[in-house]
Amino acid sequence: MERVPDERPRSLPPEEGSPLQWWDEFEAAARRSLETRLRYSFIRTYKPVLDDATYRAFDSMEGYRRWCEQSLPDWLGYGRV
Amino acid sequence: MAAFEYRQALEIREAFARHGVRYLFIGKAGAILLGFPDTTQDADLFVDRSAENGRALAAALRELGFALTDDHMRDLERGKDFVQLKNGPFDVDIVFAPDGIERFEDAWQRRVEVEGFPVCHIDDIIASKAAANRVKDRESLPRLRSFREYWLRHRRT
Repeated sequence: MERVPDERPRSLPPEEGSPLQWWDEFEAAARRSLETRLRYSFIRTYKPVLDDATYRAFDSMEGYRRWCEQSLPDWLGYGRV
Repeated sequence: MAAFEYRQALEIREAFARHGVRYLFIGKAGAILLGFPDTTQDADLFVDRSAENGRALAAALRELGFALTDDHMRDLERGKDFVQLKNGPFDVDIVFAPDGIERFEDAWQRRVEVEGFPVCHIDDIIASKAAANRVKDRESLPRLRSFREYWLRHRRT
C-alpha cells in the first residue's frame, strides 16, 4: 500500500493549541459532503441582546463594533481586544 | 428559529443567481464552506455595494421570505456597512464593508467557488477577522491559520 506522506505540522507555539489534532479534524471534515459539513457547523444558540431584535443596520463597521462593545455581554466575545 | 441548513444555502445561491446579486460568503460561514470544521450561527455575506446590487439583494431576500420594510430596502440599496437580518427563515449578516478588505472587486478576483457557492479566499477571511480583532476572532484565528496551511496544500476546489 502506498504510504501517504504526513504533512501535518510538527510544532507551533504552545499558545496556538493542538495543531496535530486540528489537522486530524480538517482531514475528517474533508471526507464529509458539503451538506454534512453544514449540518454539523450551523447551530442555534440564543445570544442575549444580539438576538432580541429582528433587524439592525449600521452606517459604519466602527459604529457596529462600538454598539457590540456597549450593548452585548462581554462573554459573547464581540468586544475588541 | 432553526439552524441554517444546506437547503437554505442552496436557496440563497439560486435566488441570488436569479437576481444577479454579486456576493461572497465570508466569515466563519465562508471558512466552513471551504472545509473548516467549526460551529457558527449566522451566514455572513459580503455584498458588492451599488444601488443596483442592493436592489437585487433586497428582491432576492424578499423572495427568500425576509420581511423587509421600505426602510430596510433603502438600507440595502444604500449599502449600509452592516445589516443584520433576523426577520426571515434564517439569520444572515450582510456586510458591505468588512474590516481588513479594501474593495469587493479585490476579494471577488480571489474568490473560490465551492459547489457553485462564491466564497472569499481563506486569506481574506483571515484578514477580516484579524482586522476586526474581537475576542472571539482572536480565539479562532490560530486554528483558522492552521486550516489555511492545510487548505493550501490540499485544496480541491
